[in-house]
Amino acid sequence: MDVGQLNRLLTSALCMFSFAGCVQAVPPDLLTALESIDQDLIALRAPETAPEEYGSFVRQWIALKTRAELDDDLIRWPWETSELENELRGLYVRGERTVSQLHDRKVARQQQAQSKVEGIEDRLFHLTSQVGAIDGRIVLGEQVVQTHHLVRQARSFLEAEDYQRALHLAEQAEQGLMDQTTRLVEELGRYADPKRIASWQTMARQTIEWSRAYQSPAIVVSKAERELTLYLNGRKVLSYPVRLGFNGIREKQVQGDGATPEGRYRVTDKRGPGQTQFYRALVLDYPNAEDRRRFNLSKKAGRIAPGRGIGGLIEIHGVENESAEQTLGCVMLDNPNMAALFERVTVGTPITIVGALTKTNAVALALSSLTQQREEI
Amino acid sequence: MQSRVSRVTIALMIVATAGCADPPTEQIQEAEKALKDARESGASTYSPDEYAKLEGTLDAIRKEVSEQDGKFALFRDYGKAQQLSVSAKADSERIKVATAQKKEEGRAAAMQAQQVAEEAVRAAQELAAKAPVGKDRAAVEAIKNDIEGLKSLLKQVQVSIDKEDYPAAQTQAKAINEMSQGVQNELQQALAKVGRGKSARSSRH
Repeated sequence: MDVGQLNRLLTSALCMFSFAGCVQAVPPDLLTALESIDQDLIALRAPETAPEEYGSFVRQWIALKTRAELDDDLIRWPWETSELENELRGLYVRGERTVSQLHDRKVARQQQAQSKVEGIEDRLFHLTSQVGAIDGRIVLGEQVVQTHHLVRQARSFLEAEDYQRALHLAEQAEQGLMDQTTRLVEELGRYADPKRIASWQTMARQTIEWSRAYQSPAIVVSKAERELTLYLNGRKVLSYPVRLGFNGIREKQVQGDGATPEGRYRVTDKRGPGQTQFYRALVLDYPNAEDRRRFNLSKKAGRIAPGRGIGGLIEIHGVENESAEQTLGCVMLDNPNMAALFERVTVGTPITIVGALTKTNAVALALSSLTQQREEI
Repeated sequence: MQSRVSRVTIALMIVATAGCADPPTEQIQEAEKALKDARESGASTYSPDEYAKLEGTLDAIRKEVSEQDGKFALFRDYGKAQQLSVSAKADSERIKVATAQKKEEGRAAAMQAQQVAEEAVRAAQELAAKAPVGKDRAAVEAIKNDIEGLKSLLKQVQVSIDKEDYPAAQTQAKAINEMSQGVQNELQQALAKVGRGKSARSSRH
């Protein structure tokens, strides 16, 4: 080999080294890719929603990144394997898998929360409309607003992508709806109780029998049906829609509760023009002996607060203000109907007020629908 | 001969000095304390990703120290561990400050929402006092129940603020405000229809 050949050989070798050269211990694009995985995890809110998975990834990532930074002055031949690079590649694969799993989990949670929140909104709407139809909103007191509040919060957290809180609140709201149904069943369950309905039917029948026996007028009022019927000589002669107390669907307990009493009463006074503010009025003998007995029992049992009275001045009357939708506990008729009734009734006429006369009354149907919804929950 | 002794002494001194490199225990402890302070200030909630990274950094520091400890004394170098500790401490202090700022912002937003909700409930209450009770007493009574319920719910907002759960407080207050607005609209419509109502004249019932 002459000097020229040797020179060419050395130059070639030098060129090869120049092209192949040495490489950094860790490819920078691998670090960038891992940085991107970290950003993806943050975007998926992994630090808050999956702290263990994120913690596990980030610990390894920071440890390896730190090592890469510590070794940034190291170089290696291209054919040399790097343990650090292998570990980073392994972490990248695991990180990608974690991103994919968390993404799937997020989608699943979103669907679960969305379905739960939408379901609870539908149930709340159903309950609200059923309760509205039977004028039962007042029975539920503050429970109504509490449940609405939970549902609204659940919706807000769902929109803010905080699915855990949205689910938790929707579950609380669900419990609130079940509690409301329970309360309605406790308060109004008698409208769906066959024994109670049978007892009311008996009371009505006896009133009609009395009318037949004594050839006299008698009145039956059904609260659930919102209907007053006048019987003459045992025969139905007229039937009018009525408005009740603002809490009329309940059983009257104390003065001012807005409930319309149930029981057997008589007309004690007839008040014509100038004697009543309500066009015409038939005064009832509420509270009668049975009302007093029930009141005293409830008082003894502590169901009525001390100092509360039994109330009185329950009437069947006409309308003072046409737009009034309820009374304070009386039975109210439109004035033409009241005039017709007033003409046919005398002092002493029996008036029987019952909860309902049919098993399929509006309150029973609403309770049945709500109970079914509660069972589905 | 004397010069050879001096060279050996100097070499030994260099070896001794190099071999005496100590781990940056104090700096690591300071970084750990700073991170603990950050966690106690709520960093794991308000800056969870940065907090997790700092935990990872401290792990890496401990690992680096342990690796250096395993080396022959002459080759130990704790410089990087020390540098990382100093930076971790600074970052922990930074996220502690950032956390305090985020918390303050959250608290301010929650308190503002609380105030708005309180005002809305108060306005609804004032309007309810003017409600035409004679027309739809059931609705008015139900609205009064709602307002009482909203007043009770305002207490929950305060409980959330006290617990430093500002997102919950803000959401609760926002919902109360919206519901109070709804009540006000309902009342305003009723007032517009019939004007100021009058209370029933009958004394009993």
